[in-house]
Amino acid sequence: MNIDLSDEALEYGRTAQAALEAAGGDKLLEDAELEPARRASLVSPVLAELGAWELDPRGSADELEAAAALCRSAGWWAAPYPVAERLCRPADLPVDGQVVVTGTAPAAPLAGLAGPWSAVTLDGRRFRVTPRGPARPPRTSAFVTGLDLTPVDADADGAAERLADVTLGLVLGCWTLLGMLDRAMALTRAHVLERQQFGQPLARFQGVQFQLTDAEVERAGVAELAGYALWSVQARRPEAFDDALALRLGAVEAAETVFRICHQLHGAMGFCDETTLSWVSRYSLPLRRLPLGRAGTEDVLTRRLGRRGLDGLFAGESFE
Amino acid sequence: MDFDMGADVARLRRTLRDLVEEHVPPDYLGAFTHDPADLDVAQRFCRVLADSGLLCLAWPPEFGGRGASLWEQTAVREEMWAHHEPRGAQYMGVNWVGPTIMRHGTEEQKARHLPPIAAGEVIWCQGFSEPDAGSDLASLRTAAVRDDAGWLVNGQKIWTSYATMAQWCFLLARTSKGERKQQGLTVFLVPMSDPAIEVRPIPTMIGPHHLNEVFFTDLRVTEADVLGTVDEGWALVQEVLAFERVGIARYARCERLLQAAPGAVGDAWAELPGELRGRWARMLVHARRARLLAYRVIATQGAGRVRPVDSAAYRIAVTRLDQESAEVLTDIVALAPPTGVAGARFQREVEEHARYSVSATVASGSIEMQRILLARALLANPVTAS
Repeated sequence: MNIDLSDEALEYGRTAQAALEAAGGDKLLEDAELEPARRASLVSPVLAELGAWELDPRGSADELEAAAALCRSAGWWAAPYPVAERLCRPADLPVDGQVVVTGTAPAAPLAGLAGPWSAVTLDGRRFRVTPRGPARPPRTSAFVTGLDLTPVDADADGAAERLADVTLGLVLGCWTLLGMLDRAMALTRAHVLERQQFGQPLARFQGVQFQLTDAEVERAGVAELAGYALWSVQARRPEAFDDALALRLGAVEAAETVFRICHQLHGAMGFCDETTLSWVSRYSLPLRRLPLGRAGTEDVLTRRLGRRGLDGLFAGESFE
Repeated sequence: MDFDMGADVARLRRTLRDLVEEHVPPDYLGAFTHDPADLDVAQRFCRVLADSGLLCLAWPPEFGGRGASLWEQTAVREEMWAHHEPRGAQYMGVNWVGPTIMRHGTEEQKARHLPPIAAGEVIWCQGFSEPDAGSDLASLRTAAVRDDAGWLVNGQKIWTSYATMAQWCFLLARTSKGERKQQGLTVFLVPMSDPAIEVRPIPTMIGPHHLNEVFFTDLRVTEADVLGTVDEGWALVQEVLAFERVGIARYARCERLLQAAPGAVGDAWAELPGELRGRWARMLVHARRARLLAYRVIATQGAGRVRPVDSAAYRIAVTRLDQESAEVLTDIVALAPPTGVAGARFQREVEEHARYSVSATVASGSIEMQRILLARALLANPVTAS
């Protein structure tokens, strides 16, 4: 058993986090919102310096772990660039990256990016994508745009194999969301230690403490599910897609609790632009809603599990 | 990364399942029933485990164990709890009474107490909680007053599991008044057969024998009964709580029952409301999450570190899982009652799980205490990515 990322991957994540901080940290997102056309140039060269775009998460376990750590660090700063999606680019298509979408309402935070990009649906069909219509202001869209899809593969025969692409996309996306949960918790911890009411820090109130702990249990749970799903991808387990969906369901559900509590503990200040939480919260929405939100993810997972359940201690055991 | 516990653990798991299948009747739902046959099952099963060298496999070889890895110990905890703890009350002696005696007992105490525990022949109870000292354990009032012959113990314990069937009690009593309430406490190892000890069962909705009151009236104890150092029992209690850091593997039973539900319900599974099947899938994710949080505690422990934030987060997640999974399973059997012998057994298992889960957020340290511990740890230090 080894349930941790390698030391090298963790170090890579820390380096990426420091590099993004040096490049502007929270200001990266603020600048990108003011000038959406700059968003790629704000983030991509910083990570290119670290060799991020040479990482091959499909090729080696080490690079997959480095990619996961990188996504978590990108999430910490809510970096205004689809890092996980770029890391998921398929080797056999001339594209910058690949997004996971639903066939019915394809959308992704690709507004203003030159591309080209590809998309893969949850059932493994691949498409070239064209952003639909003029980009809406990122303040409300968080760079999400509807996509027109053009099929890439002539037949659907390879769709099952391409579930690995979907799996990787879901898992790395959740590592990004995990970084956002880390940040939301850190911001909230700092806030309740500092903010005084009734002559004492909010952190002294048990009602505040208990809310914080409920959020932390959710965040910690996502961290473990994310590790498990990553290993499942690494080990090419047949259950990897189920594990990715299980992670996604756990992560989306946790994000609802974590952000609800973090906003509550920040009070009105948490809604204001001057508070970092409000930025992380707004830009977490695409990750929580796309390709499917909580109900949609639960529905897909439930259908997948059918009667056999989720792989674990008692999968395949008969009840006699 | 590697979440596979390895071939040794897989073999151990298989062996334990085979032993359960061979020696535990399918209707067994735990030793704590009104039917004495259930207690017999547990006692016999402990001897089977002892004969196979599996009862104390975590113990060091010099005490009859085989120094099993943390992950082997994890598999034992999971398999036993998943199958309604066929060791009955013995897990307490094996998991922490024995190891604490190994570390702090005299040679006489080790010789007297360890062999019967290793052989599965003795049941221990824990004399900690009192009517006015629950979460605030150090406020306990049971007093051991010194005289020329040793101490006389007077007082009352409550919520004492297994007291009706235990032969020995790991008793925490006040021997002096220190500056802090944690000082002046002493652990005594006392025989429950002493007529100065009276046990009164407390009838409860979670089943018989779980909870008792224990009264001590002029119980005579001597230096020979003291475990460790007089007045320094609080440190031992902290050690005991550390042994219980992961505690019972509640997630394993939740996972087993959730996983078995579609098979038990049969064709009616497809007719269940989609919303309920969705909750079932969600609970499977939560069971995995609780299991992985337990593995985090164990891995950290294995690396020689203790992070209260991990164990408290796990305990909160797993006790909530216990109750929430019980709600989902209860809804499933209510809408699609399983039929046949196996179906009826599944219903009884779900009912037992549902009743017992009510106590999950109270037993072994309430969820509020876990939240306090977690909040304290969180506020003291920021959590970093491990």
